[in-house]
Parts: sequence; C-alpha cells; structure tokens
Amino acid sequence: MTNNRSKGFANPWLVLGFEVICVLVYELLQKRGASATAHLSQAWSWIGITALASPLTWLAMGLMIVSLLSWLYVLRYIPLSIAFPLSRVVDIVVPLSCWMILGEDISTRRWCGIALVIVGLILMAKPAAQLEEKL
Amino acid sequence: MSWQVFVLIPVALIAFVTGQLCLKRGMESSAAKGVRDKKVLAFLGCGIFSMTINFLITLGLLAHLDLSFVYPFQGLSVIIISLAAAVVLREKLNLRLTLGALGISVGIVLVSLS
Repeated sequence: MTNNRSKGFANPWLVLGFEVICVLVYELLQKRGASATAHLSQAWSWIGITALASPLTWLAMGLMIVSLLSWLYVLRYIPLSIAFPLSRVVDIVVPLSCWMILGEDISTRRWCGIALVIVGLILMAKPAAQLEEKL
Repeated sequence: MSWQVFVLIPVALIAFVTGQLCLKRGMESSAAKGVRDKKVLAFLGCGIFSMTINFLITLGLLAHLDLSFVYPFQGLSVIIISLAAAVVLREKLNLRLTLGALGISVGIVLVSLS
C-alpha cells in the first residue's frame, strides 16, 4: 500500500474495474477456444494442451497478460483482502454473460447465488470506501 | 462426472491462491525495493508460475464442462484468500470484510451447485 493518491486512469479502483472486464472477456474466449478444439485429443484436452490450437485461446492469453499487469498495479495499492473479493464481481458477470452470449441456462438456485454475491459485495463496499479515503 | 473434475478443480484452486499470495507479497516488496530486486522477482515468478498452472488446468476443464460451472469454483478462493491474507500477509480483516467475503463465497458455491 502507499499513501500516494493516484488519479485519473491511474486510479487503482478504475484499474480494478478494467481488470474485471479483461477477465470477463478472456474467460469467454477461453471457453470458445477450448470447446472448439476438445475433439483433437480426449486425453490432452483435459490439461488444456489442445486448446492451444485455437487462436481464440491465444487472444485470451494476450488479454490475460493485460489483466495480470492491471492486477499487479492494483495489488500495489489495495490490500488483497479487499481487492480480491471485489474483483469477484466477475463471478456473477461470467454466468450472466454465458446466459446472454453463449445461451447457457441459469437456474433459480444460481440466481439466488448471484444475489448473495451482490449482498457480499455491498457489505464490502464500506471497508473499500474507507480505504479509498486513506489512499 | 469424471474423476478428473474432482482432482483438477482443487489443484487449480490451490495454484490460484498460492499465485495471488505470491503476487501480492512481490508487489508489496516492490514498493520499497523496486521490481528488479531478487526477492521481488522470485515472488512474482512464483506467482506467475502458479497462475500459469491454474490457467492450463482451467483450459482443460473448460474443454469438457460449461464455463458457468467451472468458473465459480474459483470463487471459493475469495474466503480462502481473505483468510490467507490476514494470516500470511498480516492484513487487517474485520467482521464486515469477513462476512462480505463469506457471502460472496457462499453465493458462488450456490451458483456452482446449480
């Protein structure tokens, strides 16, 4: 952590949001790339080797590097116990995106889980806001 | 569901948590020592290595399962990482943060059980 307040695009909270978007996109690309190449080898596909045959997987890896660099920046300013849970907003965005883009189903229980994650994020908002005042 | 799912999901989770802790420790050290310090590079290297293992195993799981099933398991790492950050990195973890992290984890488990 540091006491230097970062403004504009260097604001660690903004970078955290950017990182979440990168994770969302690369997860979707990973799924598309891995599914499209699973038929190449049943055994090797379980450890991700066949997925490397898809350009979508490589695009996902590029985005993964961008998200990693963003995450490293976030970690320099925000405690892991706050930054990481907040970054998990992606856990509800991914199923929602799968529902909207990939056509996967979301059951009632899954909707309840999504609601609980939102409650958890709201609970964490106050400690995050207090940290923002210190940054 | 095959045995690979039960083995590979925990391995991916352990690799993910280890990676995050190493990256955080490395970036904390970098604030004082700079990113070229050997200790910083060792932590960052270990973190990236762990994350790479997680990435490959996740790819393998995604080849056979729905993304909306596989991905939320990593959400279990929320409560694990929050507790590990308090113990290993000595970050302050109050009741509100703990409840928030727990709510997110339980929510993600519900999502993954669906």
